[in-house]
Amino acid sequence: MPDFTLTAAPPLAGYDRSFGDIKLSAPKDLAIVSIALPLGGEDAAKKAIKTAFGIALPEVGMSATTKADAEAIMRLGIDQAFVLFASATPDAERQIAAKLKGAAYTTDQTDAWCALEISGPGARRALERICPIDLHPDAFAVGAIARTVMEHMGSIIARTDEDTYLLLSASSSAKSFLHAVELSAKNVT
Amino acid sequence: MIINHPLLGPRDVAEFIYLGDACLIDRPDWEADDAAEKFHEYGYIRDNIAGPMQELWYHEQGDRSWLVVTRDTITHEITDVEMARDVARTRGRSK
Amino acid sequence: MSQINRIKGGLIDRSKTLNFTFNGKSMQGHAGDTLASALLANGQVLVGRSFKYHRPRGILTAGSEEPNALVQLRNGAAQEPNTRATVTELFNGLAATSQNHRGSLEFDLMAMTDLVSPFLAAGFYYKTFMWPAAFWEKFYEPIIRNSAGLGRLSMQEDPDTYDKGFLHCDLLVIGAGPSGLSAALAAARSGARVILADEDFAPGGRLNSETLDVDGMAGADWAAQTVAELATMDNVRLMTRTTIYGAFDHGVYGALERCTDHLPGSGGKPRQVLWRIYSKRAVLAAGATERPIAFGNNDRPGIMLASAVRTYVNRFGVTPGQKVAVLTNNDDGWRTASDLAAKGVEIAAIIDTRDRPAVCDVPGARHVRSAGVVDTAGRKALKRITLTDGQMIDVDCLAVSGGWNPAVHLTCHQQGRPVWNEKISAFVPGKDLPPGMVVAGAASGALTLAAALDEGRKAADSQVKDLGFTPSKQAVPKAQDEAYEGAPKWHIPSGKKRAWVDFQNDVTVKDIKLSHREGFKSVEHLKRYTTTGMATDQGKTSNMSALAIMAECTGKSIPETGTTIFRPPYTPVPIGALAGRARGQDFRPYRLTPSHEWATKHGATFVEVGNWLRAQWFVKGNEKGWRDSVDREVLNTRNSVGICDVTTLGKIDIQGKDAAEFLNKVYANAFAKLAVGRVRYGIMLREDGICYDDGTTARMSENHFVMTTTTANAVLVFRRMEFARQCLYPDMDVHMISTTDAWAQFAVAGPNARKLLSKIVDADSQDMSNEGFPFMACGEVTVCGGTPGRLFRISFSGELAYEIAVPARYGNSLMEALMKAGEEFGACPYGTEALGVMRIEKGHAAGNELDGRTTAHMLGMGGMVSKKKDCIGKTLSQRPEMNREDAEKLVGFRPVDRSKKLIAGSHFINKGDEATMANDQGWMTSVAWSPSLDHSVGLGFIKSGDTRMGEIVRAVSPVHDTEMEVEIVSAHFIDPEGERLRA
Repeated sequence: MPDFTLTAAPPLAGYDRSFGDIKLSAPKDLAIVSIALPLGGEDAAKKAIKTAFGIALPEVGMSATTKADAEAIMRLGIDQAFVLFASATPDAERQIAAKLKGAAYTTDQTDAWCALEISGPGARRALERICPIDLHPDAFAVGAIARTVMEHMGSIIARTDEDTYLLLSASSSAKSFLHAVELSAKNVT
Repeated sequence: MIINHPLLGPRDVAEFIYLGDACLIDRPDWEADDAAEKFHEYGYIRDNIAGPMQELWYHEQGDRSWLVVTRDTITHEITDVEMARDVARTRGRSK
Repeated sequence: MSQINRIKGGLIDRSKTLNFTFNGKSMQGHAGDTLASALLANGQVLVGRSFKYHRPRGILTAGSEEPNALVQLRNGAAQEPNTRATVTELFNGLAATSQNHRGSLEFDLMAMTDLVSPFLAAGFYYKTFMWPAAFWEKFYEPIIRNSAGLGRLSMQEDPDTYDKGFLHCDLLVIGAGPSGLSAALAAARSGARVILADEDFAPGGRLNSETLDVDGMAGADWAAQTVAELATMDNVRLMTRTTIYGAFDHGVYGALERCTDHLPGSGGKPRQVLWRIYSKRAVLAAGATERPIAFGNNDRPGIMLASAVRTYVNRFGVTPGQKVAVLTNNDDGWRTASDLAAKGVEIAAIIDTRDRPAVCDVPGARHVRSAGVVDTAGRKALKRITLTDGQMIDVDCLAVSGGWNPAVHLTCHQQGRPVWNEKISAFVPGKDLPPGMVVAGAASGALTLAAALDEGRKAADSQVKDLGFTPSKQAVPKAQDEAYEGAPKWHIPSGKKRAWVDFQNDVTVKDIKLSHREGFKSVEHLKRYTTTGMATDQGKTSNMSALAIMAECTGKSIPETGTTIFRPPYTPVPIGALAGRARGQDFRPYRLTPSHEWATKHGATFVEVGNWLRAQWFVKGNEKGWRDSVDREVLNTRNSVGICDVTTLGKIDIQGKDAAEFLNKVYANAFAKLAVGRVRYGIMLREDGICYDDGTTARMSENHFVMTTTTANAVLVFRRMEFARQCLYPDMDVHMISTTDAWAQFAVAGPNARKLLSKIVDADSQDMSNEGFPFMACGEVTVCGGTPGRLFRISFSGELAYEIAVPARYGNSLMEALMKAGEEFGACPYGTEALGVMRIEKGHAAGNELDGRTTAHMLGMGGMVSKKKDCIGKTLSQRPEMNREDAEKLVGFRPVDRSKKLIAGSHFINKGDEATMANDQGWMTSVAWSPSLDHSVGLGFIKSGDTRMGEIVRAVSPVHDTEMEVEIVSAHFIDPEGERLRA
């Protein structure tokens, strides 16, 4: 037994609250690993992704989920993607690196972000107050993602279901981000 | 203002950072005989363009790509948006 | 007082009676009333005092162009001045007061300014209050501010909240009058996403004010039916009480939605929302504004625009007077007479400035041809008018119609210039509209209902077709073309009587003539000299007349005279709405360090560093001042061990086959050959050769580096590196991602640092001996039984020091563990102050030294700029002037009298020289009280400093009016040989 043990305290752990027809909750144990496609090695990396996850790397601005929703891959840029999956242990990067077998560069981003899910019929109404992206169902299909800025905070928004959006923002400003989203929900309900 | 990102579509200017003339891509060769003079021009001399101008914009609150935006400085009309990396390559930059 | 002027009809809900007060007097109105219509219903004609002369004023209009009827709404902190009664929706319990008078509204003590009006003509303050200059601030301005002006602020914090938001549409339709409704309906039926916005609470525009039919039904009914259809459509967003106040670049429009202004309270919700609307196309259907005619004493309460009189009668069921005359230069004015007559209101006369037969038959009304009004009587309410031929008519209301001005405002917001239309004697939108905008209906100069409906439809069709939708096939709504011909008449010569042009800023015809006489003939000069059009109404009812009168003076045509153009906002936008949520704590986001919770519990005082809140020092026991805490933290660290959360330093994960070569480009010193498992200090230059940032970079593996930047430059360095990667070296395989927030990082410094960390770092993961993990080593470790971490042996304090990082979620817990493990050594946490003191004692440069003016040469790091490779800033850093022998060099300073405290910002002057700019030798950048040395220490730049050790110079601070003698010493006050950090 070590003399000291560390306990994890992610910034929004356990958060779960409803405002009228809007539900806000922080996903539990969401691990995030970034993937960078090596220059000149894009095809090999894409192949490795296909092999590792069973799905193709989605287009920029889209995400795709593996069978049984075990992992989601968000394509953020031409050479960058995030893999999101459930993992309670702090070895997310190693898990993904092992799957990709060196075909792409990986960086652990789990603790860089806080995650908040906003769902319900009023979700879009609340997001209108902070998100400059057009979230109309025709313009932002299920699976669409966008990296943008909300209340001065860099954020990623992903439409994961009909009325459900996953929001990511910097973990250090998690409290401010939560406040911004909460206030938006309060203001429209 | 709206910048029509080549990969992401129209995005609000609030997501971007402006740098300046896209001539900043054309960084001189440090080993050239006239390197000092060329770097002086590169660092300090700019055309003050009234009309279409190629500019560098950075999608900081987005995909972190640098873009070359052709914008009319009089009307703000944007006629072209390209990935700066592609432009840099066509201008002969490599490693 | 009962509603003595209430008549039959209108769109109000008589079943709902609303109580309100005006200047404390209880009155009643109905749901659907505006404050203005309710005041008129109650016979309250006098509603305010004018800006400059304190003239009694009534209601002029029935819309947002109102210049006169500005009132204060609500009480206490919620009190809001300068609100237009004409657009204020009545609610139960509304308390309104008139403004700009001393004493009561009826007996304003300041009304004597009207008697001295000859001295207050245009430009009077430029002439009268010129000398002496010193009087302006102390005497003239307070007097003017006090006597002129509008309402008063509550001087309390705004109790309401505001919000912002973003909307997107294919087509934005601005205005829900006949053309706007026609456009919105057609576009919506085509399937396009439509936003229809109108400033009124009841969509319909003039349809609600007129007695015209559409598709065989009353116009107001057609409007209601259309709105009902639009409300059922998913692709339509109907926004009432919403003003589109600005047209910005690329189809972006600003909108102000008043969410709760029509309610007694906001119910905790935002009172107003400022929307940014992204539109692909827009139809401007903003309608037109009727203009008055200037004549003698044309500002008396009871003199109103003819269209407004119609609005009050038809929409609100209120007659502004019992005996009404109409003054008009056009056919449209006649409809006021006929509509009023139809409601049983007595029409005394119709005075037409034109020589033409009656436009329609108005029972009981006298028709006076080729005539005008030259004077009026009735101080607080109109009693009588005098015509050009001298005859007098007793009336209590005069309806004036001078023709219509298309609401071109938004067409001008991107440099568009309106053009003159002779047919309607008005400016209409020019060709250079904001891209994507089409103008329809009265706003484009189409002044009849049939034309408005048709234009709205055509505008929508062309816009949606452009966007790839198939235009709706349904027929255009049908209406009659009503008569609207007119002949311009801007003002009626009225002898010496003052004739108002701009009611809100009290500008008269005489003022404009004076402006012309004194040479201020261009419209821009006219505007500034007379202040016409510069009030809160921005001259909606006055600009055109002022311009026309100036044209008359100069003998030029109106188009030759030109027009001023309009800027946003169309109507005033409260500062609160522009601020939105950005108030107090919500002004900007806060970033918290991973150990924030621990620090809060342990006496930390926090300081804002950018958006970060960092522990500045930790108060322990009875420590009274911050110095007590900081001195203790420094000594504790230097004597044993201290712990500091340094998570805020920027961390960038850099990977790629060319990562090492890339670092060679962005750092001035060489990085390519840095060994795996080692850290190197690096400096970055700007391309002009000035030092930009510094930090350390660790090589974790062959193609994997971890860079740290200063806290302040984390974002900027990342941005510059992406520029280098994409724009300068596009074929390098290098990838960057910020990991600043991902890792909690702590500096553990002091002679006991190794002992402490050996209890935390798992023994099997890292040999902690000096040989096994020497100065500038780095590595992946596990801590506290398997949690992954990173360890760096780097030192900012100059002590034996490490930085240890764990995933941020474990940060607070690691801080606790470190403190517990350090108990036996008396470990203490230290904040940014102690960090600063120690780095000054050690002579490390920081932001004060890297201030955007200093070079590597000045910092004593000129040798670090590699000669063998290119890097950003290399070539220009080699310029001779930046490498002068006598350049200011970074050195240390200590006061000759050790009891004195150095002052940062002091400038150095050689002994015996006068303290002038010419003799300036350099400046002090950072100072601190060194508890280790027990005297003040400083860092600074001084000419040839490196060769002047031991010299005494003077540190002069003209700001503090002090100077002291200081000695030039090495910047390394502590452990100059670096033995401690290698221990």
